[in-house]
Amino acid sequence: MLAERIARIQSTALSKIESAGKLEELEAVRVEALGRKGELALLSKELGKLAPEERAEAGKLLNAAKQALESRLEDRKRVFAAAALNLRLESEWLDLTLPAPGIRPGSLHPVTRIQREIEDLFTSLGFTVVDGPEVETEHYNFDALNIPPSHPARDMQDTFWLTDGHLLRTHTSPMQVRAMEKFGAPLRVIAPGRVFRNEEVDASHEHTFYQLEGMMIDRDVSVAHLIYFMKTLLSHVFRRDVTVRLRPGYFPFVEPGFELDGQCMICGGSGCPVCKQSGWLELLPCGLVHPNVLRSGGIDPEQWNGFAFGLGLTRLAMMRYKIDNIRLLLGGDLRFLTQF
Amino acid sequence: MKFSYRWLSELVEGLDTDPRELTRLITMKTAECEGVEHVATLLDQASPARVISVEPIGDSHNRRVVVETPAYGVRTLVCGAPNCRPGLMTVYVPVGRKVIEGVESDGMLASGKELGVNNDHEGIVELDPEFPFASDWIIEVDNKSLTHRPDLWGHLGMAREVAAITGRRVTDPVRMSLLPQGESAILVEIENYELCSRYSALLFENVTVRPSPLWLQYRLEAIGLNPINNIVDVTNFVLAELPQPMHAFDAAKLRGGKIIVRPARPGESVPALNGETYATDSSNLLICDAEGPVAIAGVIGGMESSISDSTTSIVLESANFNAASIRKTSTRLKLRTDASMRFEKSQDPLNTARGLARAVELLQQVSPGIRLVGGLVDNWRQAPAPPPVTLPLDWMDRKLGTELPADEVRRILESLHFTVKSKSDRVLSVAVPSWRATRDVSIKDDLVEEVGRMVGYASITPAPPQTPTVVPPGNPERVFEHRIRDLASAQGFTEVYNYSFFSDEMLKAFRMDADSLVEVANPIASDRRFLRNSLVPGIWKNIVDNVRHLDYFRFFEIGKEIHLRPGLPPEERPRFLAAIYSRQDATPALFELKRLAECLLKTVRVDMDAEPREFEHPRRVGLVRCGDSDVGRLFEFHPNLVETGRAAVLDLDLTMLQVLQPPVKPYQPLRRFPTSAFDLSVIVPPRSKAGDLHSVLAAAAGESLVEIDFLRTFALPDGSNSISYRITIGASEKTLSNEDVTAIREQLIAAVQARGWSIRG
Repeated sequence: MLAERIARIQSTALSKIESAGKLEELEAVRVEALGRKGELALLSKELGKLAPEERAEAGKLLNAAKQALESRLEDRKRVFAAAALNLRLESEWLDLTLPAPGIRPGSLHPVTRIQREIEDLFTSLGFTVVDGPEVETEHYNFDALNIPPSHPARDMQDTFWLTDGHLLRTHTSPMQVRAMEKFGAPLRVIAPGRVFRNEEVDASHEHTFYQLEGMMIDRDVSVAHLIYFMKTLLSHVFRRDVTVRLRPGYFPFVEPGFELDGQCMICGGSGCPVCKQSGWLELLPCGLVHPNVLRSGGIDPEQWNGFAFGLGLTRLAMMRYKIDNIRLLLGGDLRFLTQF
Repeated sequence: MKFSYRWLSELVEGLDTDPRELTRLITMKTAECEGVEHVATLLDQASPARVISVEPIGDSHNRRVVVETPAYGVRTLVCGAPNCRPGLMTVYVPVGRKVIEGVESDGMLASGKELGVNNDHEGIVELDPEFPFASDWIIEVDNKSLTHRPDLWGHLGMAREVAAITGRRVTDPVRMSLLPQGESAILVEIENYELCSRYSALLFENVTVRPSPLWLQYRLEAIGLNPINNIVDVTNFVLAELPQPMHAFDAAKLRGGKIIVRPARPGESVPALNGETYATDSSNLLICDAEGPVAIAGVIGGMESSISDSTTSIVLESANFNAASIRKTSTRLKLRTDASMRFEKSQDPLNTARGLARAVELLQQVSPGIRLVGGLVDNWRQAPAPPPVTLPLDWMDRKLGTELPADEVRRILESLHFTVKSKSDRVLSVAVPSWRATRDVSIKDDLVEEVGRMVGYASITPAPPQTPTVVPPGNPERVFEHRIRDLASAQGFTEVYNYSFFSDEMLKAFRMDADSLVEVANPIASDRRFLRNSLVPGIWKNIVDNVRHLDYFRFFEIGKEIHLRPGLPPEERPRFLAAIYSRQDATPALFELKRLAECLLKTVRVDMDAEPREFEHPRRVGLVRCGDSDVGRLFEFHPNLVETGRAAVLDLDLTMLQVLQPPVKPYQPLRRFPTSAFDLSVIVPPRSKAGDLHSVLAAAAGESLVEIDFLRTFALPDGSNSISYRITIGASEKTLSNEDVTAIREQLIAAVQARGWSIRG
């Protein structure tokens, strides 16, 4: 009889479990069937009245019914929980195309960008990056570079002279001598920086621009080494192999002196307006350091020699970003500067 | 400098290289060519023509002309030139077949300007018999690349290069045998041979001054020299050929029969050929006759003694002047002439007599009947020839990074007119030709260039050097600057570069005292006269400019201030400036900049004891400090400077910022015992500073303090402020008991009350 009652309770509870539509209804079923004062609990109190062998049999049935109901309840709860979670997740749809709050990153100046790439390259090649003054002496800017006062080469650079006799450096080359004095030989340095020319300004001429000087001094530094470094430099900057050519160029602080041309990146050498139909772009004045300049830096030209080069950082930035007006670079227009 | 291909062809035997290819070769081996231009191209199809008849066409100035030409037969055309007359020999060009004034005109008679042989457009060319009917190619070489090459300022010098490049021989146009022997008719005195090492001259009589023959005009015109008259044109021809600058004086205007070369005396001035009068000083060398100056040596001739139509005798000067002196004079007088440009490159003294010999030959052609009077005047203090240069070939190989056979080196140097002897198997002794010895070539390194450029640098294989691997010295300042750039840009600031100068606008807006600024001595524009001793005005200009296009922006600059230091060189101080502009209140901007300062240096604070400057908002300016050190300023621009919207600026000393970076230190062990926290809201009078409250609380909490966090502040109806902090406390060896916490809280409250403030709620 007890078995029948157990079976009836179980089947009634099971059907209520199946028909329950929400978590609360399930809980009610659990309390009704499995609670401390639930139907099965009441039944279990009657077990004591049974004979021992019947009691054991009924106890088993009771436990089985409890387990069956509990397991089913758990299953159903999980289903409800999963449905509830799904509902929450669904309601939490978020438009990720909305702009992120907070500040947009700013930009670095195009000259900064190119300068740092070159600094990183030369640092990896064992060069030191040095800085020097923008206000220079006539000695470092000219005399020590084998350009005495009467030298016509002084005409090549229109100089801002200051009222106290100093000048604004016309090139980064003074750093050659300053670096030699500071570090001695052997030496590998680059010196990027701001330089000044006292001339009229137009779309391709500025009175303030950036150069990067480079110098290597060692026992037997040759033209072959110079070409190697220049090719490496240009390939790094333009991110491809650059065909170069070396031709004579005159700068008093080098002997021999060269102009290094790169094959025009625009037309590939066939001739275009950018390279004035020549197929070549003048990129780097360079040469072997003149013995007088080594002497100016306190280095014995019979023991040591070296190469030096001067890179127009401003020009390089203009080439890379196809900037057709040099005045944009120091114009401070954020509509331009935020593009980099 | 322009070179005529035809002229070069006359000086290089058998030159047949295409002019464009020759231009490329010159660029690769000698000097940079800027271009090559085909000129006077009409001449290639032009023909000499004899005018047969000229008939009027109604009232027109045009006339119907019939000409006879060897190349095109008889042609009829319309011509308006006033000098068109029967019998005239002129030039016919078969272009432009059209009907003019009812007459069918077949071709044209050309003016000198149309043909490109001179600048004459008044009438048609009056042909002389020796005129060459051929176009020319003009190769233009960049003057800068000729700075060190006195010889390349003339065609002969370039012809020597071309001959060496193409493996041909050069023809010397000078015949020294033409120079007259015997006693000279003029006397030349040189006061200082340092300034004038040689002065050669010739006296000519029976001179006819008239236009040069067309071939000579064409030569000069093609390279950009204006034909003037036969005498002046000859001097210009020699200048452009040898290149020896010369000057022709009207001998009748030279007083006292002698020439004196001397520095100018005080107060002397020279009325020059160009119509200007130049006041000279003792740094200027003059050519004088017995009574006074007749020319500024090496720069320009005088007006008085210049060649005119009535000149019948001339003194032809061919001298050598000191390069530095000429350069100084030309710079001081702001007068660069074809002569001064050549002299300042250090010309070859051997060329003075050669120039005269060449001129004798030319003058006989262009002024028939001209006669030399007396012998050559040649006042000269000859400098000893420089010793030969010793050239070790192994050394040169190491310099070039390639190996060259001795024969090859010798061949190259000889093709460039060096005299080469062997000192030993691998060492040469090289004598430099006079025209390269004045400044250009004096050491073995100079010879490396001669050999390298002729061999061609393309033959050198690039190679990395074999050097030991060593860590180069570092540059912490630059690394720091780059770190700051990255940080600022990540925080939304865009980098600007500003000029190192103050513009007039900035000087005015910031009411700057120009006496405190470093000044440019030779400004060419008023916005480049004073150097910036602050980056603020530049930043201000950026704001004013960008407001036109943008409502809100952030930017920064890293640059150098340049400070005047009496008695000392100007000092450069690197600065970091950041600015935020907004249309609305600048409060968030100021705090954003304060946060940026904290990002750059964790331990900075802003104190409010700054003395406001005129351009600063007087109630929104703070000093950025770290410990006892000033690092910079944080301020809002005064509304007088930024009229629309508001702008905040952070101005920091980069050097201090770096010096004050916290040193590396060991970490603090993590707390083993829990901490406790409580909030305090304090009521303070108006304009009390949260920083002061913070200090009071921190001091009162003493060693137990773990953290003070600002929570909020707001104004109460009576104008006082409520400021709330959360204070976290703890002990290193135990958990604080409730009693401990209460005791510390009481301590804090007491300290607050001691300042006269009260606790809220």
